[in-house]
Amino acid sequence: MDPYSAEGELINIHNHFHQGQYQEVVDFDVSSLSPENALPARVLQLRARVALGQAEDVLAEVQGEAGEGAPELAAVSALAAQALGKADEAVETIEGLAQSAGDNPTVQVLGGTVLQAAGKSEEALALLERHQGSLDAVALIVQIYLQKNRNDLAVKEVAAARRWAQDSLLVNLAESWVGLRLGGEKYQQAFYVFEELAQAPATSSVQSLVSQAVAELHLGRIEEAQAALDQALKKEPGYAEAIANLLVLNVIAGKNAEELTNSLQKVNPEHPFLTDLAEKNDLFDKAATKYKAKVTA
Amino acid sequence: MQASSGMLTKFESKSSRAKGIAFHPKRPWILVSLHSSTIQLWDYRMGTLIDRFEEHDGPVRGVDFHKTQPLFVSGGDDYKIKVWSYQTRRCLFTLNGHLDYVRTVFFHHELPWIVSASDDQTIRIWNWQNRSLLCTMTGHNHYAMCAQFHPKEDLVVSASLDQSVRVWDISGLRKKHSAPTSMSFEDQVARANANQTDMFGNTDAVVKFVLEGHDRGVNWVAFHPTMPLIVSAGDDRLIKLWRMSETKAWEVDTCRGHFQNASGCLFHPHQDLILSAGEDKTIRVWDLNKRTAVHTFKRENDRFWVIAAHPEINLFAAGHDNGVMVFKLERERPASAVYQNTLFYITKDKCVKSYDFQKNVESPTLLSLKKLGSPWVPPRTVSYNPAERSVLVTSPADGGTYELVNLPRDGSGAIEPAESKRGQGNSAIFVARNRFAVLNTSNQTVDIKDLTNNTTRSFKPPVGTSDIYFGGTGNLLIITPTAVHLYDIQQKKTTAELAVNGVKYVVWSNDGLYAALLSKHNVTIVTKTLEQVSTLHETIRIKSATWDDAGVLLYSTLNHVKYTLLNGDNGIVRTLDQTVYLVRVKGRNVYCLDRAAKPRILQIDPTEYRFKLALVKRNYEEMLHIIQNSSLVGQSIISYLQKKGYPEIALQFVQDPATRFELAIECGNLDVAVEVAKELDRPKLWTRLSTEALAHGNHSVVEMCYQKLKHFDKLSFLYLTTGDNSKLSRMAKIAEHRGDFTSRFQNALYLGEVEDRIQMFKEIDLYPLAYMTAKAHGLEEEVQSILEATGLTEDQLNLPTFGEPLTPPKPVVPTYQANWPTKATSQSFFEKALLSQVEGLSLEDDAAAANGLGEAEEEVTAKRDTLGEAEEDEDAAGWDMGEDIVAEVEEGFVNVESADAGGAGSSEADLWARNSPLAVDHVAGGSFETAMQLLNRQVGAVNFAPLKPRFLEVYQASKTYLPASAGLPPLVNYVRRTVEETDLRKVLPVIPRDLEYLASNDLQRGYDSMKANRLEDGLRIFKGILHAVLINAVGSDSEVAEAKKLIASASEYTVAMSIELARRALGSTETVNQNPQLLKRSLELSAYFTIPKIEVPHRQLALLNAMNLAMRSKNYNSALSFANRMLANGGASRLLENARRTKAQCERNPNDAVEIEFDQFAEFDICAASHTPIYSGTAYEECAFDGSKYHTKYKGTVCVVCEVCEVGKHGSGLKLFV
Repeated sequence: MDPYSAEGELINIHNHFHQGQYQEVVDFDVSSLSPENALPARVLQLRARVALGQAEDVLAEVQGEAGEGAPELAAVSALAAQALGKADEAVETIEGLAQSAGDNPTVQVLGGTVLQAAGKSEEALALLERHQGSLDAVALIVQIYLQKNRNDLAVKEVAAARRWAQDSLLVNLAESWVGLRLGGEKYQQAFYVFEELAQAPATSSVQSLVSQAVAELHLGRIEEAQAALDQALKKEPGYAEAIANLLVLNVIAGKNAEELTNSLQKVNPEHPFLTDLAEKNDLFDKAATKYKAKVTA
Repeated sequence: MQASSGMLTKFESKSSRAKGIAFHPKRPWILVSLHSSTIQLWDYRMGTLIDRFEEHDGPVRGVDFHKTQPLFVSGGDDYKIKVWSYQTRRCLFTLNGHLDYVRTVFFHHELPWIVSASDDQTIRIWNWQNRSLLCTMTGHNHYAMCAQFHPKEDLVVSASLDQSVRVWDISGLRKKHSAPTSMSFEDQVARANANQTDMFGNTDAVVKFVLEGHDRGVNWVAFHPTMPLIVSAGDDRLIKLWRMSETKAWEVDTCRGHFQNASGCLFHPHQDLILSAGEDKTIRVWDLNKRTAVHTFKRENDRFWVIAAHPEINLFAAGHDNGVMVFKLERERPASAVYQNTLFYITKDKCVKSYDFQKNVESPTLLSLKKLGSPWVPPRTVSYNPAERSVLVTSPADGGTYELVNLPRDGSGAIEPAESKRGQGNSAIFVARNRFAVLNTSNQTVDIKDLTNNTTRSFKPPVGTSDIYFGGTGNLLIITPTAVHLYDIQQKKTTAELAVNGVKYVVWSNDGLYAALLSKHNVTIVTKTLEQVSTLHETIRIKSATWDDAGVLLYSTLNHVKYTLLNGDNGIVRTLDQTVYLVRVKGRNVYCLDRAAKPRILQIDPTEYRFKLALVKRNYEEMLHIIQNSSLVGQSIISYLQKKGYPEIALQFVQDPATRFELAIECGNLDVAVEVAKELDRPKLWTRLSTEALAHGNHSVVEMCYQKLKHFDKLSFLYLTTGDNSKLSRMAKIAEHRGDFTSRFQNALYLGEVEDRIQMFKEIDLYPLAYMTAKAHGLEEEVQSILEATGLTEDQLNLPTFGEPLTPPKPVVPTYQANWPTKATSQSFFEKALLSQVEGLSLEDDAAAANGLGEAEEEVTAKRDTLGEAEEDEDAAGWDMGEDIVAEVEEGFVNVESADAGGAGSSEADLWARNSPLAVDHVAGGSFETAMQLLNRQVGAVNFAPLKPRFLEVYQASKTYLPASAGLPPLVNYVRRTVEETDLRKVLPVIPRDLEYLASNDLQRGYDSMKANRLEDGLRIFKGILHAVLINAVGSDSEVAEAKKLIASASEYTVAMSIELARRALGSTETVNQNPQLLKRSLELSAYFTIPKIEVPHRQLALLNAMNLAMRSKNYNSALSFANRMLANGGASRLLENARRTKAQCERNPNDAVEIEFDQFAEFDICAASHTPIYSGTAYEECAFDGSKYHTKYKGTVCVVCEVCEVGKHGSGLKLFV
């Protein structure tokens, strides 16, 4: 039986992970799991710890075990390395694993993540497409397509997954991601999904709150979005995505966003918002020089 | 047809066989006559036996209540008819006459008559007032089993074991016994002729019709309450329906189904139904129009003997072998759901309607649900989904069904639902905006379905689940007979469980934090995580509940509206004369649905519970407000306060001194206690007060009490302890005065007055003691004088050895000067609130008054300013605003056809630039080069540096960052202003600070800085506006015009402000005045400042400024012109007064001392760069964007107003609208 299916043992820890409740994943009681599910659960916990910023510890922990017998742990070590900024090393590990254990779902998912993060979308997709009914892989594929602005392919991928996975959390999430690209009434549907996650105490996380806020922003509901973001920032004041989106919201609302820019700078100087802005800043200066008045007063 | 479901038994009694039943028309009472000769009077609502009447000998078969009098009648196998008073609880009299068992007895609805049917084959009519037999109707030739009056006409119907039903005309009887005046001679003749006498010459009651059709004896017969119909039940197991006209009667149809003798039957008082009961242990319900069976209710062991209907409300009773049951055919609770200010409910004829709480209006029928379920089964629940504007209706018909239908946008009559999705289920509720849950009790599953009715997931609820309710987002409340579970749908597990028995309804508070679980007799309040907050028990059945906005639960029982606070405090709000179902509380109004599913508004007085709530929340202002504005003061509230530990608050209400004293003591408010004690002046009170005051250390009150009580000893001791020696010596004097030697001694002791003590001993001839005292204190003189007085010598005395003489302690601190510092809390919070509140009020008044005088003028102008804008705002409102979209459902997506194989697509940002010719959309898309190109072409923009903040602002607003998979950067999405658009060729980006925002924010700030004379700020703001409009988009052509207006206005202000700033830059007043060149320029600039077309109040400021400067420089002519212009403009009176004065002054000498280049009569514009006049007719250049004017020599420079465009470069014009 698929351990991630609705009746499976791993459904809750898996959902926690994808709802962004990393601490809950780490705290999840895995002692009662059946032996064949112990490793996937451990991988989830390790991934959650990487997401929580404990990549170094994770790396140290798996280093010893990441031998031949455990491609999963090797993949985790690559993920941790990636998180620590050692992209080349990580990619190398993954490329090796893709050769040796490309059929392992964990390797696929983590490998896909690492490759995509390193900008190797094609390789990531190639690896992920070898999956056998893994929703994690589907979600990643959807995200990669969206990052490549291939909304059409993302739509197809979700529709295909919807056929065999129905109402599972990941399909809903992936569909919502796509929905936020497509717009129109899809905004509202995406909002429903995120709101449901964000407002139920059992599933609420900073991630889902921010997602809800993003959907509201797209729907033009500025005040509601603001409320959700404030809620998220209360939970975790240093959550870069919350700050970035609040910044965007403030700009849309015509408010001063300088302070937020500074705090984003502090939290994550590499945030796409900032790198993008700096790039555009230069672009503007360059473009502006092409014009000048005939007469200087 | 289904069997035995749906009967709602309200009451059951255990007794011997019940033969006769009667409902009281008003009270919840039922009379039951038993085979065992007893008559029982039950309260079926409370389930209690009120009384028993035992005078009949043998079975009692017939009973009936009188409609208005406190009477009932019974008839039994002892041949007797008895009339009873249930007030005096005894039989008033007995009517004798029947010669065999009496089967039924009934009162007439208006005349003082009783009709009885007997086994002696007669039907008799009696007058219970004069206790006489009026008429004996003969004709049946077997036992007469039943006889009833017609509810309106002068008819009697009877049934007999001779297999016939007879209808009797008793109009003759009425005429005979009514006042003779009503009968004219003609009437008498007519009557004599018309009424053929029967064979015994009896004209009072004649057989009108004989209805034959039953093959066996007929047990029961009844008239229809309004229609000319008769129903009868017989031993041939048939129920027959008969119809009659004036002249004849005939059989209409037969209802077949009973498989044993049918013993009773009746028409439903309000619906087209027939009910019948039989010895086959069934009660059957038939459709009157189709004569088909609607319901069958089967009882295991008991044969039914009689059935009766309540005349008013929807209740029935049936008597069987082991007692009586009272039941309803259907639930009367109308299905309803509340969303914000709207109530959705289903009427008795199965139409969905809505009701607006704010406007108090019912909508027309939104939807007809006639086709849902069977016609006689009303829907049970309705759940409303505001996002989709759809309702989910459940009905118990066919073992439970649900139906999901969309409501039309506006109701316009009974519309059959266009499309609906239905299925089997006992409960169905929305759990999210696109999901609903359906409970199927028979196979115990809960399905979560999407709006297309497909099951997306399904799970097994806890064992024995009977109902489900919404449990907060993503959760269900699952009800089992003994517990409530909070179930997480996503995790598929119970997250909390609370043992509560028999919960039937769940009502959520408006803020979603609390829920009330209603069971038959209990209300349990829980938090959203299912923690019990409080619970309460009601003996009367609880029907419904609703929360008010402050978190008070109002609930209704059968006869009361009550409230309960979260802490469990509860009370009665008002009584009810009929059962209602509360749906909403707002202020003093309680909105509810009555049993006819009509919305009603009940007035309540919420003072009590609001007060208690305020008390719990310690909201003293609110309490104060309530106290001041309502008549709350009552014994109950006082004792409540006292009980709850708020005596200091109770104190505020009480007038009665005795109670006041008690409360004051309790809360330690000595001032009040003293006040009251003085008023009452009773020793007991003083005693208590002294004790309390002593405990507080308030010795001055203690002193007063002791004084009042004349407790001299205590008083002395008090003075001693407080060190008040002067008073102590006064006490000594008083003691001397009173001749109280003990007291005197004591005081002397306290004071250390040895002489006094010796003196006293001497006075009372206690020389030995006097001597001892003197000796002990070494007062030798005194010793000697005593010895002399007693005639003794020292040798004769045998003295013990003395210790140290007593010396009273010296006070260290003058305690008596002040009381002990007492606890600060002795002054209640409430009193403080009271005090501060009063002060606050008076302050506010002052402030308001001051405002009224001082700032009125300013406000008026300010208001006038904003008035015009406000109107514009309203016009503009609604564009570019996100709305809840419920657009057509569209399958599939817009698919940008491209090869399936890899390769990146183009982002939406790229599309924006492609989709729009507006610079702003290119900016948002990050395509700055093309944006600049556009601006250059449109308005000749060349200097982009000032636009950089705006470029980046627009660009920053265009994208959001969605956290997706862990480990990857967030997904970038593109924020659109075309929220509902999905066609990628039409999507456009969101624009921060749109036109509306600029007009209502930046523009106002600009005005404000003008008013406040912060011109540098103003200049910055108006230039900012120009830049923001330049990079902007609007939604329509009319808005383009508005934008143009805004540009023009901002441009004028920019010019005006820069002129004035230039003037100020000339130097300080002294330097300017000393330099004629500068002075001239200064005066010119001040004059030019008045030229730009800025708002009138602001122009007045400019004019005032120019006028004053001109005056100071003796340029009276110019000043005069400014004054004239000011007067022409009108406005604030202070300004006008000033202008008038100046005018008067200038008119005396209308000459300018300094000649300036300002022709008040010429028409001219100001060059924005040089600040000199451009007279009309001369050539000038313009900025293509903001329209500021320049002397021709400035052509080719950058416009100083917008700082962006090249002067004199004419573009294609700014484009703001696609």
